[in-house]
Amino acid sequence: MAKYLAKRIFYLILTLFIVITVTFFLMKLLPGTPLTNQAKLSKSQIALIYQQYGLDKPVWQQYLLYLAGAVKGNFGTSFQFSDQPVSYLLSSRIGPSLQIGLQAMILGVILGIIVGAIGAMKQNTWADTTTTVVSILGISIPSFVLAVLLQYYLGLKAGWFPIAEWGGFIYTVLPTLALGATPLAESARFVRTEMVDVLSSDYIELAKAKGLSRMGIIYHHALRNSLIPLITIVGPLAVNIMTGSMVVENIFSIPGIGEQFVKSVLTNDYPTIMGLTIIYSFMLCVVLLITDILYGIVDPRIRITGKAN
Amino acid sequence: MKINSAVKLGTVATFAAVLLAACGSSSNSSSQASKQTLNWMESSALPSMDLSTATDVVSGETMNNTGEGLLRFGKKSTTHPGVAKSYKVSKDGKTYTFNLRKSNWSNGDKVTAKDFVYAWQRTVNPKTASQYAYMYAPVKNANEIMKSQKPVSSLGIKAEGDYKVVVTLTQATDYFPALVASPMFFPQNQSVVDKYGKKYAANAKSNVYNGPFKLTYWTGTSDNWTLSKNTKYWNAKNVKLKKINFKAVKDPQTSLSQFQSGKLDATYLSGQQPKNYKNDKQYVERKGASTFYIEMNQRKDSMMKNKKARQALSLAINRKQFVNKVLADGSSEAKGLVSTGLMSYKGKDFNTASAVPEATDHDLAKAQKLWKEALKETGRSNYNLTLMADDTPAGKNTLEFVQSQWSKLDNIKVTTQSLPFKTRLSRSENGQFQAVVSGWGADYPDAISFLEMFTKTNSYNRGKWLNTEYDNDIKAADGKDANNEAARWTDLVDAQKTLMKDQGIIPLYQQGKSQLVKSNVKGVIYFPTGANWDFSHAYISK
Repeated sequence: MAKYLAKRIFYLILTLFIVITVTFFLMKLLPGTPLTNQAKLSKSQIALIYQQYGLDKPVWQQYLLYLAGAVKGNFGTSFQFSDQPVSYLLSSRIGPSLQIGLQAMILGVILGIIVGAIGAMKQNTWADTTTTVVSILGISIPSFVLAVLLQYYLGLKAGWFPIAEWGGFIYTVLPTLALGATPLAESARFVRTEMVDVLSSDYIELAKAKGLSRMGIIYHHALRNSLIPLITIVGPLAVNIMTGSMVVENIFSIPGIGEQFVKSVLTNDYPTIMGLTIIYSFMLCVVLLITDILYGIVDPRIRITGKAN
Repeated sequence: MKINSAVKLGTVATFAAVLLAACGSSSNSSSQASKQTLNWMESSALPSMDLSTATDVVSGETMNNTGEGLLRFGKKSTTHPGVAKSYKVSKDGKTYTFNLRKSNWSNGDKVTAKDFVYAWQRTVNPKTASQYAYMYAPVKNANEIMKSQKPVSSLGIKAEGDYKVVVTLTQATDYFPALVASPMFFPQNQSVVDKYGKKYAANAKSNVYNGPFKLTYWTGTSDNWTLSKNTKYWNAKNVKLKKINFKAVKDPQTSLSQFQSGKLDATYLSGQQPKNYKNDKQYVERKGASTFYIEMNQRKDSMMKNKKARQALSLAINRKQFVNKVLADGSSEAKGLVSTGLMSYKGKDFNTASAVPEATDHDLAKAQKLWKEALKETGRSNYNLTLMADDTPAGKNTLEFVQSQWSKLDNIKVTTQSLPFKTRLSRSENGQFQAVVSGWGADYPDAISFLEMFTKTNSYNRGKWLNTEYDNDIKAADGKDANNEAARWTDLVDAQKTLMKDQGIIPLYQQGKSQLVKSNVKGVIYFPTGANWDFSHAYISK
C-alpha cells in the first residue's frame, strides 16, 4: 500500500508539473495584457510597468522564475488584487468553495444511493417512475437554473433561507441544493441500473433461498456490489461540481474561488490563473487517487498493489 | 478611469459654496432615522486601497470616502475645500499655493504638507508602477520622472512648513483643481507606509485614513467591506452615517432580490431590468462621462477617406431609437465626442455650444444621397463594410443596430465582428479594421480629456483621421490659450465642431447607469468621473 501511494504521489507531482508547464505557455498566448488601464496607456508607459513586474523578460525565463518560486511556495502577487499574494488570495477564499462542494457531493451521493436503491427495489412501480423522473430532471436542469429557482422561491418568496451572501450554515443550504442536484441524479441513475442487475443475479436468489432477510440481502449483497460503478463517476462528478460552482458562487454571492477563475483569465491575471489551475488540478488528482483506493475497499477483486493473489 | 466611469467636475474652482449645499435643508437631526447604516451594492470586490496604484472604480469610490485631498468634489463635480482651507493661483496659472487646515489621520497623526509631497512623489516614482501616474502630467517634471530622466525629488510640489503646499505646473492647467480633488492626489502617511512595507493598504488595519470614514472591515480579498465614521475627521460633526456596508453582488438578479428583501439600500440595474423598473419611484439614472463612437480606418480605404461616405454612415443611424428602445439603460444620444455635462462655460454645456446637427441628426434621405455620391466619386458600384465591436451585451446590441441602420443604404453590405475587449483593442491599435466601435471615459472634467485623442500624432487616433485645423485648435488650447479661459473654450468648441463637420468619427451614445435607491437614502452625491460617489453628507431619513 505504501509503495502504491508513493508511486501515485510521484505521478501526481509529475501531472502537476505538466499542467503548470502547459498552462503557463498557453496562458502567455492569450491576447492582451494584465493591465487594467491598458486603453489609456502609451506603449512606453506599458513597457515601464512591464519592467516592474518582470513581464519584459522572455517567456521561458518567466517560466523558470515561476517554477523556482512555486517550489518555494511563492506563487506571485495577483494583478487584480494588487497588494495580495496569490497564496493569500486563494487560501482566504477557498474555504467557502470547498465547504459547498463537499456538502453538495456528500448530500448528492448519499441521497442518490437511497433514491436509486428505492427505485431498484420497487422496480416498475410509481416509486420507480418518480425516481427516474427526478434523476432525469436533475441531470438535465443546469445547476445555475436550479440556483435561480431556489433563490427566488425559497429565498425571496418564502423567506426560509437567505437569498445570498455568506454567514453561517443556513447560507450554505440553497447553494448546496443547487450544486447537489446533479450528483444526486447521476448517482441515483447509476445505483438503480446496477442494482436492478444485481438483484436478478443468481447469488441474490441463493441468499433469498437461504432465508436471509430482505434488508440484509439489500444491504450486504446488493448495495455493496452496486456501488462499484458509482465510484467510477465520483471523479467526473467532482469536476462537475467544481465548474458548476463558478456560476453558483456568483448567483449566491459566495466569496469563493470559482469566480476568480473566470475573471483571472479575462483580465490576464497570470499569477492567479496559475495558482487556480494548480489548485483545481491538485484537487482532481486527489479525488482520482481516493476513488482508486476506494475501489480496493469496495471490491476485493481489485488489488491496488497489482499483485494477483 | 475604466471606460464606464468617468468624472465630470466644474472647472471653476471657487470656494464660494463652502460646506456643500448638498447637505440641504432637510438634514436636521429630527428627520433622521435612529439607525444611520447604509447598505451599498458594488458589482465587484474591492481590489486595492493603495492610493498610488489602484486602478478601478470600486477602489476609487471607497478611497474617496476614506480619504481627502487638498480639495474635495461636491455636487455637479464642483470642488470644495478639503484639507486645504483656501488656495491661491499665480497670475500665469502655473503656481498653486494651498493653505492647509489642522487635521488628523485616523491614528491621531497630524496631516501635514509633507504627507502630500510624499504621496505625490510615491505615485510618480517609476518603481511604484502606477497605471494612473500619467494624470500627474501637468505637474512640473512629472513626465521626466516617470521616464526616470529626473530624480523623484524634482517633482513640482514643495512643503513650506507643516501647513502650506506649493505646486508648480509645467503650464497653466484649467482642470488642475479637479485633479487635486481625485483620490490619486490624496495624502499618504509615510510612517505608516514604511511601517507596513509590502502589507501597506493590504487590509483594513494596515492603513490610515484622513477622510469622513475609515475602513473597519476588509480582509484584502473579501466581498464585503465596512466603512465607519472617522471621528478624527476635521468635519466629523457633519458626517451623519455611522456605518456603510459595501457588498459585492456580482449577479444583477441576486442584487435586485437583495434590494427587494431589504438587505441592500441601492442596486445597479442591468440587462432588461432598467426597462422593467423605469417607472418605479426608486429608479434613478446617472449620466456617465464616457462616450461610444465609431472610428473609420482612413489609412488606405478610399471610401472611408471620403467625407460624404462618412457623413452618410452617421446620418443613417437613428440614435434616439437606439438609446431609448435598444439600450434603454439610462444611456443618451451622443451629439459629439465629448460627454454632455462634462464641461460648461458661462452656464452653457460644451455640447450645446459645439452642436453640429447636420452631422448627427438622423436623415436617411440625405444619407442615401451622400452615399450614392461617395460611391460615384470613388468609382464603385457597391461597398462591403465590416464593423467591429466588443463582445459585451452592449457591444453586440450596437453591432446589430448599426448593421440594420446602415443596411438601409443602397449598395452596401455590412458584416459584423464581435471580439473580446483585449483583442478588439489590439486590432484597433494595429489598424486592422474598417470601422470599429470604441469607447472613452474622461479622466477629469475637461473636454481636452476627449479631444486630444484625435490629433495627428496621438496613438488613440486609430482611424488616422487627420485635420490641421483641428490640430491647431488643440495645440492652442494646450499652449497659448492655456491660461485664458474664454479663448481656450472657443478653441475646444471649434475643435469639436471641426471633428463633427468633417465626420472624423461617428458618435453613438453616452453611457449612463441606472439604479434603484431606497427613498429614505438622502444626500448621496454622484459625479460622473473617477470616484463617482461621496457619502460624507448622506443620511437615512425616517
